[in-house]
Amino acid sequence: MKKFILKSGLYIVLILLLLEGLVRIFHLYTEDPPRFIDEYGVEKRMPNRKGYAVTGNRNQNFSKFSINKAGFNSYREFEPTADTYEVALVGDSFIEGFHQDYDTSIGKRVEEKLGDVQVLKYGYAGYDFANQMHLVHAYADDFEMIDEIILYMNYKNDLGRGEYEPNYARINMLSSTLFKIRDNIKLLSYGSKIGIVEPLKKLAQGGNAFTDTNDAYKNNALEEDDEAKQKAKDDEYIDNFRSLIRLYGLDKSKTAILLDSRTTSVRFLDFLNEKGIRYIDFAERFRQSNQPTNLIYDLHWNSHGRELISEEIAAYILKQRK
Amino acid sequence: MLFNSLEFLLFLPTVFVLYWFVFKKSLRVQNLLVIVASYIFYGWWDWRFLFLIAFSTLLDFYVGQEIHKHLDDKKKAKFWLWVSVICNIGLLGFFKYYNFFVDSFVDSFAAAGYQIKSVWTLRIILPVGISFYTFQTMSYSFDIYYKKLEPTRNFISFAAFVAFFPQLVAGPIERASNLLGQINTRRIFTYEQATSGLKLILWGFFKKMVIADSLAPIVDDIFANYSDYPASTLILGVCLFSFQVYGDFSGYTDIAIGTAKLFGIELMSNFKYPNFSRNMAEYWQRWHISLSTWFRHYIYIPLGGSRVSKLKSIRNICVIFLVSGLWHGANWTFVVWGGIHALLYIPVFLMGRNRLYSDNVIGEHTWLPSVKEVFQVLLTFILVTFSRIFFRSPSISEAFGYIDRITTDFRYEPYMHPMGYRMLDFFVLIAVFTTYEYLIRKDERSPFKFKNKFVRLSLYVLVILSILLFYDDGVNRSFIYFQF
Repeated sequence: MKKFILKSGLYIVLILLLLEGLVRIFHLYTEDPPRFIDEYGVEKRMPNRKGYAVTGNRNQNFSKFSINKAGFNSYREFEPTADTYEVALVGDSFIEGFHQDYDTSIGKRVEEKLGDVQVLKYGYAGYDFANQMHLVHAYADDFEMIDEIILYMNYKNDLGRGEYEPNYARINMLSSTLFKIRDNIKLLSYGSKIGIVEPLKKLAQGGNAFTDTNDAYKNNALEEDDEAKQKAKDDEYIDNFRSLIRLYGLDKSKTAILLDSRTTSVRFLDFLNEKGIRYIDFAERFRQSNQPTNLIYDLHWNSHGRELISEEIAAYILKQRK
Repeated sequence: MLFNSLEFLLFLPTVFVLYWFVFKKSLRVQNLLVIVASYIFYGWWDWRFLFLIAFSTLLDFYVGQEIHKHLDDKKKAKFWLWVSVICNIGLLGFFKYYNFFVDSFVDSFAAAGYQIKSVWTLRIILPVGISFYTFQTMSYSFDIYYKKLEPTRNFISFAAFVAFFPQLVAGPIERASNLLGQINTRRIFTYEQATSGLKLILWGFFKKMVIADSLAPIVDDIFANYSDYPASTLILGVCLFSFQVYGDFSGYTDIAIGTAKLFGIELMSNFKYPNFSRNMAEYWQRWHISLSTWFRHYIYIPLGGSRVSKLKSIRNICVIFLVSGLWHGANWTFVVWGGIHALLYIPVFLMGRNRLYSDNVIGEHTWLPSVKEVFQVLLTFILVTFSRIFFRSPSISEAFGYIDRITTDFRYEPYMHPMGYRMLDFFVLIAVFTTYEYLIRKDERSPFKFKNKFVRLSLYVLVILSILLFYDDGVNRSFIYFQF
């Protein structure tokens, strides 16, 4: 028995070490550059980091990222001036663009289409609309000099709150020793990415790790919202949006919202029209596309989707400049 | 409780430690632990059905004694045997086949033009593993009746034999002569047995999580939408199902045998690389061996087996295959599946080739198989795979619809994975898996039998890495044979 336990232990250690090596060699893990909250209360990435973001168990999507001095994933540094035409593109992971090489980002594509425009891409995974509007408000000096501001909105997720509060607890948690260990043990980081350690994680967090998978699916199933529920939701979202405008302002003369009208409530679109807030709707372009617009493993835009978005934005900018 | 779950990951070491460290000194207490652990294992799914196992245990324990008591009085012994058969089959019949027979009855009237509104259909949950443990307990009574076994006086041992958790829900269906004897004897921990168990568990997880689970979404998609796909895709779907069901069931068996080894128990082999069978008879000597052995011992041989006239032998073959089909599920698709296997087996039997390959494997004395063997293996695989259209389809009409599409829409179109994965990954996976199985084809209980320990270590690492590479969080991780 002693031999069995000792040798099993030894084999487990050896196997784990070799797996760690293989996961590193084949870069199966994804990198998540550290996050922090700056003196303006804006949550972003630690500057000057380069690395690779990986999606899927088998490196199905592999892309380079580069965090600039401002703390955002971009090939360009953000130095807005009065004599250059600048467009700020603000949004969540869709705009951050960890799913494609940073030098083929939406911003770069827009620049290539327009020639004399600089696109400053303030994208950060996890931003909702409160984050975005607070960011524009917090960096008012920079945004003063920016000619066009485009805020990306995912209607169903982004208007859950009417005021921004920096989430120090989350940032502290992500920079805790436990998370640092996870990030440094690439096997663990990989296991976490593919979901194999999910039950253990739940157990460690005191949750029920034994929930039946089918039950979990049932709970996650999207319910068809009935009209009353939808209206209540819309009212709540519109109130939150009003509150955000009241708190952080919205310069209608140079701000537009990038959205998909297929997933945005008609009431909200009516509200925008009524208030004279411009929006760029990419629904039609996506609908007409005869190629997939999203990645396989998650819902982020693929190369083609990004191309369509950049075409939509470029067309909008051209129109504005006329 | 599923083998491939966190619960089991915690459950197994706990029971192992209690078994070998805490209760090692008393065989009786060790067996009691086996019963408690097994009931927890089963009750994790639904504790209400534990009473069925308890009932089946009590029944056959008592019946066994009674049969033995009346062995000199054939009539009484037979009576008690029938008590066991009727009660066990009754349980099975009610929980598994009641609605099937009611629906079939109603449908047959409907076919004759009489519409009957069925009010007898009940909402019955099929208790997991009922087909396995009822057959196992019945085998005990049969063996006593046929004087192959003395009944045990130790109820705890018998209850542990019936409920032994590694094989409780999906076999192998053990015979008392093998398992009960081991349960009645003090177990001795051996390093070789335990490590061999761990290796089998690892290999079983590979087959389940890499082969079966990664093919499941493809097979599900193709069978669910068969009317949208051309022949090439439908052929692909059923071929992949062949690998899926093999990976799923033999993976379960390997984990079960491996787990039993950790407790000093040797279960019978259930799979011996059936994909390398050279004819249908060999296939049935290599696929779900414990079930085919059960049918041979308790149905085929009592009916006269092959020692009667050719015509009666053919009848006997048909009976066991049809019953075997019905055993798998309460659906006519399984009966047709069994019927197809009978039709494929009979020519092999009539040609006297049914025992030709019973003691050797493909490429017995060579590295590579001969061209003839390759042809035989391919033909057997194709025939078995064809029959699986019925095994996998939800109804007879859909199975025929599937076959109809293959024969009428005969064209090729590349198949796109429902989740967008690259199909090449899965083809490479199957090719590597089949090649590796060919390399280890001579010993189904030693999947890592390589002398060089670095080779072995590399294989362990590769197997675990493949589990990670093909792990899919969204796949339903249940085992296919649980439904039987």
